[in-house]
Amino acid sequence: MSETENIHNELGSIQIQKDAIGSIARQSTLQSYGVVGLAPKNLVENIRQLIKKDAKYGVDVAYAHDGLVIDLYIVVEYGTRIKTITSSIASSVKYNVEKTVGLPVRRINVHVRGLRISNMD
Amino acid sequence: MSAAELTKLSADERHKLVSVPIDGKGLKTLLEAGMLWLKTNQQIVNSLNVFPVPDGDTGTNMVLTMQAAFDEIENSGIDNVGQLSHAIARGALMGARGNSGVILSQIWRGFARALDDHPTMDVEYLSKALNEAKETAYKGVVRPVEGTILTVIKDIATQAEVSAKRTPSFTEVLADIVEAGEASVERTPDLLPILKQAGVVDSGGKGLLCIFEGMWRFINGEPLDKPLTEVMPLSEMDLEDALETIEPGQDYEVVIDFTPKATFNLEDYYEELSKIGTSIQVGEGEGIYRMHIHVPQDNRYQPIDHTMTRGTIKKVMMENLVAQMEEKNHSKNPRLKLTKVQPGETAIVAVSPGPGLSRIFASLGVAAIVQGGQTMNPSIKELLASFENLPTEKIVILPNNKNIIMAAKEAASMTVKNVAVIPTISVPQGLSAMFRLIPDADFEENVASMNDAIHDVETGEITKATRSVEVDDVQVEKGQVIALHNGKLVSSTQTIDEACEALLVAANTSDYERVTLFYGEDIELPHVNQLADKIRSIYPDHEIEVHDGGQPHYQLIIAIE
Repeated sequence: MSETENIHNELGSIQIQKDAIGSIARQSTLQSYGVVGLAPKNLVENIRQLIKKDAKYGVDVAYAHDGLVIDLYIVVEYGTRIKTITSSIASSVKYNVEKTVGLPVRRINVHVRGLRISNMD
Repeated sequence: MSAAELTKLSADERHKLVSVPIDGKGLKTLLEAGMLWLKTNQQIVNSLNVFPVPDGDTGTNMVLTMQAAFDEIENSGIDNVGQLSHAIARGALMGARGNSGVILSQIWRGFARALDDHPTMDVEYLSKALNEAKETAYKGVVRPVEGTILTVIKDIATQAEVSAKRTPSFTEVLADIVEAGEASVERTPDLLPILKQAGVVDSGGKGLLCIFEGMWRFINGEPLDKPLTEVMPLSEMDLEDALETIEPGQDYEVVIDFTPKATFNLEDYYEELSKIGTSIQVGEGEGIYRMHIHVPQDNRYQPIDHTMTRGTIKKVMMENLVAQMEEKNHSKNPRLKLTKVQPGETAIVAVSPGPGLSRIFASLGVAAIVQGGQTMNPSIKELLASFENLPTEKIVILPNNKNIIMAAKEAASMTVKNVAVIPTISVPQGLSAMFRLIPDADFEENVASMNDAIHDVETGEITKATRSVEVDDVQVEKGQVIALHNGKLVSSTQTIDEACEALLVAANTSDYERVTLFYGEDIELPHVNQLADKIRSIYPDHEIEVHDGGQPHYQLIIAIE
């Protein structure tokens, strides 16, 4: 799988790096209600994050034949409706990525990796 | 209590309920007033939903969340403010719908946390509770976006703190809160560019304000069941109706689509327009307003000039009504007259395969029609759009085709509205269900009765075979006329008349009273009339009716009842 996605038009081609898409997805996730942070998707990423801050942290972007597949690994606030929050994250990430990048988003998988309990009732 | 009952309370009773310290009963009444006012303004809040993220309508989501919160406490009888607000928070969280619903539930959660187990609430505690509500709401997001419901709760909490120091009167603090909330909502476009682009204020913030406003209106004895401004979705604007009544001074119809400036005020705009012309309607959708007006010939450019000072014009349509009226009188195809529904009423959506059938459905009281039928099934999106465009929550859909039932069910599951699918597999079944509709009856009653109606009627369909096949022990050659009884092949013949006779026999017509023929676009009326005469001679005691159905493919759709 390539690291960039090409869009061809009559003037030439545009290449968009996965990282760029990842950071848009990440930004839009962090602005969504109920999200308190992103989580490492695996051990390797966890260790890498300790050494160097990475824009893709918690976000995985892949190209399928008919569009983008984005995986998000998140931590949510305890006491919120996870179902509602995840679906609103998915729609706002889809909207923002499609609006800024112009590539269709086929799937968004939201993985809830933890809950943050900030204040017990 | 209903809105009317709430406003019927005397001033003394109202003031007693909200005099400090406020107990559980007082908070419950206030919550209900807030919920009712939000419900009344639901469509206004919905129409502010410019962000094209499909997470439902903000107004509807917030109402459902508040309703769940209220249901939780309605019969609880808790008199302790702290415990009651915990119950509210629990109900709101359980019933939270959409992003705005979750934020609202978090606001209640913070509110409850601050009140802890206090039996009553004074203004100081109100201020503390609102502050904690703000904290909890903000904690829910790493990068809070200003210009949203978050900003509004923040401004409200700040104001509450200031006011609580000034006065111990709950009523005064609430008045300050509402004022601060209004200012905050007005400010949202300055903080969030996307709102400014669309020329609206934030919908979640507006919804939250409605809740506090409702409490304030209740205390002041103002009605809770009449919105300040009526907002009509674009699809609801009935330009056809306006057309039919041309009076002197209504020579031209001008329709302008425009994006208003941030300072746009709908009521002022209405008033300014009323000086120019008549039949004024202003609709709103997706951040665009559509204005409709009738003006005398000399004034025909004034609405354009005027609207230009209020926003950016996207499109202008101008029509000479006098000329159009003459044309319309000659036209054979009158427009459909669909039934208008009000919020809270039951609306019927029917799928219709032809223009004639659409007219029949419309005359029976259908509120929306989706074109579609055999080989041209409407998409789930079209069905969903028809639900969303209706201003009510209670919708019944008649798919009228076996292949559309699934799509209708799917669409029904995707909307937040309450949609009942009546599994009608044919047009006669759909019509039969329509006859059972009682506009004033309860939604559930209507649905049950319409479901029963399906079995009242036998359906016959006459069409031409598209290929040679043997089904249900009947041998069919391509091009032959075939008759289907309740979807089952009963006969294959050379002529429509023969097929029709065979069908009527198969359907045990003698046991019924009435035969209605809906003829399609592939058959001539004289032929149908001859056929009807022939049927009359075979079944002299039956009532035979002929209607223009206009459906493709099927020469005849027959209802036997």
